[in-house]
Amino acid sequence: MIQVAILILLALLGAPLFSIIGASAIWGFHSEEIDLQVITVEIYRLAEMPILLAIPLFTFAGYVLGESQAPSRMVRMADAILGWMPGGLAIVALIACALFTAFTGASGVTIVALGALLYPALMKAGYPERFNLGLITTSGSLGLLFAPSLPLILYGVIAQQSALERPVSIDDLFLAGILPGLLMVVMLSMWSMWKQPRGQLTTQFDHQKVVAAVKESIWEIPLPILILGGIYGGYFAVSEAAAVTAVYVLVVEVFIKREIPLGEMPRIIRDSMVLVGAIILILGVSLASTNYLIDTEVPMQLFESIRAHIDSKWTFLILLNLFLLGLGMMLDIFSALIIIVPIILPIAIGYDIHPVHLGIIFLANMQLGYFTPPVGMNLFIASYRFKKPVMELYLATLPFFFILLFAVLVITYWPALSLVFLSR
Amino acid sequence: MADEDPQSFFCRSSRTLHAIEDSLLVVVLLSMVVLAFSQIIMRNIFGIGYIWIDPLLRIMVLWVGMLGAMVATRESKQISVDVLTRILSPRLKLISKVLTLTFAGAVSGIIAWYSALFVIDEWKYDSIAFASVPAWIPELIIPVAFGIMALRFTLQCLTAFMHLCRKTNQ
Repeated sequence: MIQVAILILLALLGAPLFSIIGASAIWGFHSEEIDLQVITVEIYRLAEMPILLAIPLFTFAGYVLGESQAPSRMVRMADAILGWMPGGLAIVALIACALFTAFTGASGVTIVALGALLYPALMKAGYPERFNLGLITTSGSLGLLFAPSLPLILYGVIAQQSALERPVSIDDLFLAGILPGLLMVVMLSMWSMWKQPRGQLTTQFDHQKVVAAVKESIWEIPLPILILGGIYGGYFAVSEAAAVTAVYVLVVEVFIKREIPLGEMPRIIRDSMVLVGAIILILGVSLASTNYLIDTEVPMQLFESIRAHIDSKWTFLILLNLFLLGLGMMLDIFSALIIIVPIILPIAIGYDIHPVHLGIIFLANMQLGYFTPPVGMNLFIASYRFKKPVMELYLATLPFFFILLFAVLVITYWPALSLVFLSR
Repeated sequence: MADEDPQSFFCRSSRTLHAIEDSLLVVVLLSMVVLAFSQIIMRNIFGIGYIWIDPLLRIMVLWVGMLGAMVATRESKQISVDVLTRILSPRLKLISKVLTLTFAGAVSGIIAWYSALFVIDEWKYDSIAFASVPAWIPELIIPVAFGIMALRFTLQCLTAFMHLCRKTNQ
């Protein structure tokens, strides 16, 4: 018990998470008198999971897109198509951010890349400053539920490690995220329409502007179709879709559009792989510690003791929501996925919750964690980017928090919303 | 952090190491992209496939991850929870930095040590990874990465410790 307390204290003091998980694995094997060389065998299992290939490839593609002019082209296109509606510009911001986040894996790039564009535009259109700050900060994690977002893939990878009776396929997760993700976008859009500055004239719908904007983005428009169509048309697997995306993005942005000089490539590769490396490292050491957890049947014991107090699925879901919200405040999404999913998944299945639905619930809750105090990453990124005190951002994001909280509850208690497209 | 070390031998060797890591990262990632893509083209258009591509790609994922983790350590970009440090005084912050870096260095060192033993065993017993590639070659990245991370954490810890001493003296 003492070592657990020490590890938690060290984690709170900022020790890298991989070292905490690594230490618990070392301690676990050591106390069972198992040779520590086994940790290497476990870490090497990273090289036995074909789906992992999708992680570096999609992340790389996302970073390349983020470095190009694609984000501003996307905003111009969305503006040309939707700008005439009430709350149009705010809705444009929401949709552009959601799409962009899906591709860049919600690593905070959205606020930096798109915020710089959208924030001044929203100010000029007369939206209140606090609304704009809240909108941009919230949108930084919107789109987590849309393919091919990194957390969605990571959940699938971890769930597949848990050797379930009903295997979780990443294809299914991609499908399951669509409606819950749209629900969030729609609810925030309605709020934006409500907040539309009074007496403000919306721009006229302009055919020529739309045609010009579409022409400009003609190379990026096929991307979502390429990914989703390729996977569900049965042309390629998820990891292959990642390879196709990486090549496509590389060719378009570097050779056709020529927006990224070749000399920038090493830096972009390094930046993107630092994130990938940090995630894969934690995943590697957790393969060792999860194994230890499973061997000692910790999840089953937990399940038994929870079961003794709670027998309804719905009560369990309420507690799950509360737990995940708290978790999202403390941990970033990647560590939370790697540490908590292996423990929670067998318990949730015990309560007859579909593993794909659990994934969507998990990520939807975590999405809120991005902008809940005290450590919500996007709060700090936005505070840094817009030079506003973090306290002001807490207040600015509050209404958005409650809207999305409502969406999370709908997603949790209406499983069909996530599962309707699944074949089984 | 090692860059700030005035001793030029350290400076030069760490810069060389950085350059090697960076270029390996670029080479491995771009080869992954090219290999994975050409595999799809070959299979779907020409109907041919090579069985060694899949295991090779999976090993490259491990390598890219480990190399990325080395760079993340170099740039202090490892994922951490980091809730308490925000409210600590600068002095306590330094102390907790020394503590956590020592801890991270020790854990990396232990993993590096045991995985080195493991890789040596694999080399002795001539295990095969795939085709005729001996298993110790792809495995080598694990002790190397953890070893270098242990070294980096130690150096960063020493730097933080020196800052702390200077602050106490003032």
